[in-house]
Amino acid sequence: MNDLIRNNELMLTRRLLFGRTALGLGTAAMAGLMNRGNQVLGANLNGGIHHKAKAKRVIYLFMSGGPSHLDLWDYKPKMQQMYGKDLPKEVRDGQRITGMTSRQKTLPVCPSKYKFTRQENNADGVWVSELLPHTATVTKELCVVHTAFTEAINHDPAITYIQSGSQIPGRPSLGAWLSYGLGSMNENLPSYVVMHARSRHAEQSLFGRLWGSGFMPSQHQGVLLRSQGDPVLYLNNPAGVTREDRRAQIDALSALNKAQHKRFADPSVLARIKQHEMAYRMQSSVPELMDLGKEPESTFELYGNDAKTPGTFAACCLNARRLAERGVRNIQIFHRGWDAHGNLAGEHGNQCKDIDQGSAALIKDLKERGMLEDTLVVWGGEFGRTPYCQGRLGKDNYGRDHHPRCFSIWMAGGGVKPGITYGQTDDYGYNIADVDGNMLKPQPDKDKWTPGTMHIHDLNATILHQLGIDHKQLTYRYQGRDFRLTDVHGHVVKDILM
Amino acid sequence: MKKKFITIIFFTWLTGNLLAEEKVDFSREVLPVLSNKCFVCHGPDTKKKDLVRLDSFLGATRDLDGYKAIDPNKLEESEILVRINDKEDPMPPHKAEKKLTASERDILTRWIKQGGTYATHWAFVPPVKKKTNSTGNPIDFFIAKKIKAKGIDMNPKADRRILARRAALTLTGFPPDPKQLKTYIEDKRPDAYERLVDQLLDSPSFGEHQARYWLDAIRYGDTHGLHLDNRRGIYPFRDWVVRSINENLPLDQFITWQLGGDLLPDPTLAQKIATGFIRMNPSTAEGGAIPAEFQAKNNFDRVETLGTALLGMSLICARCHTHKYDPILQTEYYQLMAFFNNTSESSMDGNKYEYSPNIKAPADQASWNEWNAIKEIRKGVLKDAVKIQTDAFNRWQKASEEERFKLLTNPDQKVVELQKRAAIVAKSIAESEKRFTTTLVAKELSKPRETRLLNRGEYNLPVGEPLLPDTPKAMGSFPKDAPRNRLGLAHWLTAREHPLVARVLTNRIWQRTFGEGLVRTPADFGLQGEQPTHPELLDWLAVELQDNKWNLKKMMRLMVTSRTFQQSSARDSKQVDPENRLWARGPSYRLDAEVLRDIGLWASQLLDPTMGGEGVKPYQPAGLWKALMHPGSNTKNYVPDKGVRQYRRSLYVYWKRTSPHPMMTLFDAPSRETSCVRRSRTATPTQSLALLNERQRVEMGRMLGQRLLKESKDSENIINKLFTLLASRAPEEAEKEACIKLFQQLQKRYDKNPNDAETFLSIGESARDKELDAASLAAWSQVALTVLASDIAMWVY
Repeated sequence: MNDLIRNNELMLTRRLLFGRTALGLGTAAMAGLMNRGNQVLGANLNGGIHHKAKAKRVIYLFMSGGPSHLDLWDYKPKMQQMYGKDLPKEVRDGQRITGMTSRQKTLPVCPSKYKFTRQENNADGVWVSELLPHTATVTKELCVVHTAFTEAINHDPAITYIQSGSQIPGRPSLGAWLSYGLGSMNENLPSYVVMHARSRHAEQSLFGRLWGSGFMPSQHQGVLLRSQGDPVLYLNNPAGVTREDRRAQIDALSALNKAQHKRFADPSVLARIKQHEMAYRMQSSVPELMDLGKEPESTFELYGNDAKTPGTFAACCLNARRLAERGVRNIQIFHRGWDAHGNLAGEHGNQCKDIDQGSAALIKDLKERGMLEDTLVVWGGEFGRTPYCQGRLGKDNYGRDHHPRCFSIWMAGGGVKPGITYGQTDDYGYNIADVDGNMLKPQPDKDKWTPGTMHIHDLNATILHQLGIDHKQLTYRYQGRDFRLTDVHGHVVKDILM
Repeated sequence: MKKKFITIIFFTWLTGNLLAEEKVDFSREVLPVLSNKCFVCHGPDTKKKDLVRLDSFLGATRDLDGYKAIDPNKLEESEILVRINDKEDPMPPHKAEKKLTASERDILTRWIKQGGTYATHWAFVPPVKKKTNSTGNPIDFFIAKKIKAKGIDMNPKADRRILARRAALTLTGFPPDPKQLKTYIEDKRPDAYERLVDQLLDSPSFGEHQARYWLDAIRYGDTHGLHLDNRRGIYPFRDWVVRSINENLPLDQFITWQLGGDLLPDPTLAQKIATGFIRMNPSTAEGGAIPAEFQAKNNFDRVETLGTALLGMSLICARCHTHKYDPILQTEYYQLMAFFNNTSESSMDGNKYEYSPNIKAPADQASWNEWNAIKEIRKGVLKDAVKIQTDAFNRWQKASEEERFKLLTNPDQKVVELQKRAAIVAKSIAESEKRFTTTLVAKELSKPRETRLLNRGEYNLPVGEPLLPDTPKAMGSFPKDAPRNRLGLAHWLTAREHPLVARVLTNRIWQRTFGEGLVRTPADFGLQGEQPTHPELLDWLAVELQDNKWNLKKMMRLMVTSRTFQQSSARDSKQVDPENRLWARGPSYRLDAEVLRDIGLWASQLLDPTMGGEGVKPYQPAGLWKALMHPGSNTKNYVPDKGVRQYRRSLYVYWKRTSPHPMMTLFDAPSRETSCVRRSRTATPTQSLALLNERQRVEMGRMLGQRLLKESKDSENIINKLFTLLASRAPEEAEKEACIKLFQQLQKRYDKNPNDAETFLSIGESARDKELDAASLAAWSQVALTVLASDIAMWVY
């Protein structure tokens, strides 16, 4: 009870602080207070601000471009019988089509060329494509959701939507919301770290807004951990400057800032001094983080030799684990190239090779270290792909257009039920269906939620929930409105939670 | 716990009683409570017919089967009073996310007891000037009045040097030049400060610095902003903004040209360029994008930017439903959109630089000047032509037949001369125009596009009849004689009776002068926004702006010459007013990203003063764009500029909207994907890293160190000079000590490790003076870099 009251009080202070900063004060004075707040709150609240958190941290493996659920997770054997035939009108049921296939004369059904195998999980099993042999070995840990859906039908709006809750730029990203809500668990590393994994088909753009802070103060934006140049922008001292030189500089800076503070008594000057100190610490904590020298050979057996090459997805996954170990709350890896309009066989094969072993290794590694239970891992893209072919339909190769009405994602750890699947789609993987195969047409609705479905707002609400945040209560006032990540929507999908 | 509870009750009872007689101000006290706590269900967008509406007197006094929310005849029995105090079945209900606080309950209670009457929200009532009863600066009158009422004093005047620095940074974005500073300090005339201010207002840097705020507000960028985020031809618009601010184009015209310059009779080139404003929305050409969807989205963006930048509210809520708090109907949103829905550009940008319609415009300020100069010469030629041709004609008239024939065979030399001059002018114009570049502009379709209300803001769900362009009723009526197009919209915005535009602009001018606005929520003047700290002052200034024909320089002059601006910014030890809402001390805030960079370039004499032209690309860590961009994008490779273009003012740094320069975004610059009228000011460790390690900053430190060493020989003078440049004053003992200590330590180290000095001194493109001792230079460079990174240089105070 006392904790609850204390939490409430802290929440209040916190909202006042942050709310004010957005609109009122906004000087570094506030930033100083907030930084202190971040540390104190983060540590005291054990990750949760509205209820006890199940997950202390989240690792989000983002597959940019829209992976084909039909070739990876959503097994549709009946499509074989319809090979090459036009997708029935009643299946399409008014769904709009992108400008890329809307002029196509037919929408020929295109079954997956890949073999699916039924893998054991903790329930009825789950079908996994041959493209993901490693991931297939961790299905007992995964909750595979077949019924994620969105309204957006093109990349830019769709990825902006799933990452910020709005199709139009300007809102804070999921990561920024978490940083704002939860602060940091450590004093040596940023609280929100973003990595870009390399891909052979780096189609589709990413945008700063996907990890940006939108209308929130920019301290909540994701910090890029890069594989080229300085791992964190401007981390390393200029050539010819040693760590001792830097220490002397920071000391001089402190003395100068203290003199300034003496004259003007502005508390934010003191906050700046603390930031310089943290920067100095980061200069040793980040290299320590990036140094894989102490990782035993077994690590690379697990993640694959790719993990030794900076910038690969496997290396990013290994970094993610190391970041998680060091108290970073919020880690996101973006992997591009899933936009298979024409050459799905060629591209998805490579894409899966990129990500398969690393993702599976991350799950195993976290599990082994006892960290999976409080680390929420999410895998998915911004939408799915069509069951009809875009362009030429061949037995060995084909293309698929964007599909918003259903797509597959998976979650693991962090209090999500392991080894289950959730929701089902029709025989074409086109519509979300009930257990009997009848079409459900879920809409994002603030009052009503359709069981068995997970709109992207529901996904975000559920992620926040696992981190101890009520998505309806984490608000930020801007332009007179209390904004939320989930806008006015979102339902926590409790069915998949332990 | 129990004790605390009792205290609260006692306090409530006490304040309740004490204040019972005090007249409650509906607009400033009651309406915010109703808006924040009640309107979510009982506001303008209430759909359920049986629910009481509390956004008007009429609604609140409606008979609800024998009782009324407000009963004017039996005030004490008003249902509001009953329900807000009902423990069992309270309002807002138990499950509501926002409940009433004790003081809010008290405000509502007093309001009902005092008659429960309504008034219009302050921001929707046109401002009027109150008499100031003072001969001094009216700003000080309003500020002093409130301060005195609180029983405190204004801070003393700031030190003259500090003040000169503050004024220079506020107006031009640079500290005062040491010479300028010296002249000012030695100027003992009573109006020395005013003279300095006038110099600053006349500096071309003024326009560059002030333009930035407008470019944030209207989301200026050099790329399309979505998907491929390709290059876009629009920088002549940016240069036009700088020019018009420097020429002090009245703000009403500044707005009118941007909204409807193309619709003015016989528009000038500048008026056409100004319509680039209409084209500033982020755009896409993504393969699968649906044109109708982006026609709607582009226009949403225009309406909401207009709202944020000029109306002080984004209107975004009304896109999907009638506004919950502010009296803006959803229909009105789409009526406003109808003004914009008639421009001729395609809804998709084709990933093209020339995304038409476009025109050719001068490519930088120099070519503007050149073109204008030629135009002036042409005027002269035309003027001479009148005289010469008239003379010739007169001669002809008077001449005999014989003489006329002679005139024909022997043309007038003056006419021949004139023709030659005209030919030269024509050639110069043609040549000048050959160097013109593309800039996107607005053009009207001859046949208007239909605009309908879009249900839930969905492009594919239009409902109802086509809407004619119109403006929200709550913000005043549309001028009778104005056309129903963008030009008419501009007339409405700049009309004397408009309640918002002058206030919103004045508030932001105040914000960039004093660090914060009089209204602390510059993007929300609506019911949910904050009240102005000094309502009468805001109104006085807003009317003053209009009285002075929307003269920006005059307004800024009034502000910076006020006693309020000139106060010391030191805080009192008790921190009585941490947010400076009383304005009893001078402004103090961290400078913007651009200014931080510009100061370094300026102090190190690296700055290239060239004005205007295509965005420049200073060093940026390799691969930043490539890691994000589609292979088909023409902005996937960042190729840093060479030579002087490295060192242009930050206003000109190339603005790629999906990935602006990290030295901008790290220090809180917005992405320019959406309107931003107030930047946050954060302090982060990644900023600290950038301040001391970024290549250009290191180079600035190095060149500043070099300048210092070349201009002075001994440490004392070097540090003095450094502080004069960056702090406009001599260093204090502690500061001097810190600098000397750092210098000595580093010099010793570099003496021992000459290679380190050499490598350090080779960072950046600019040439190093090999005559200077490497160890001393490297050490002084680090000192310069350190002082540049200190709050002494990074703040206005």
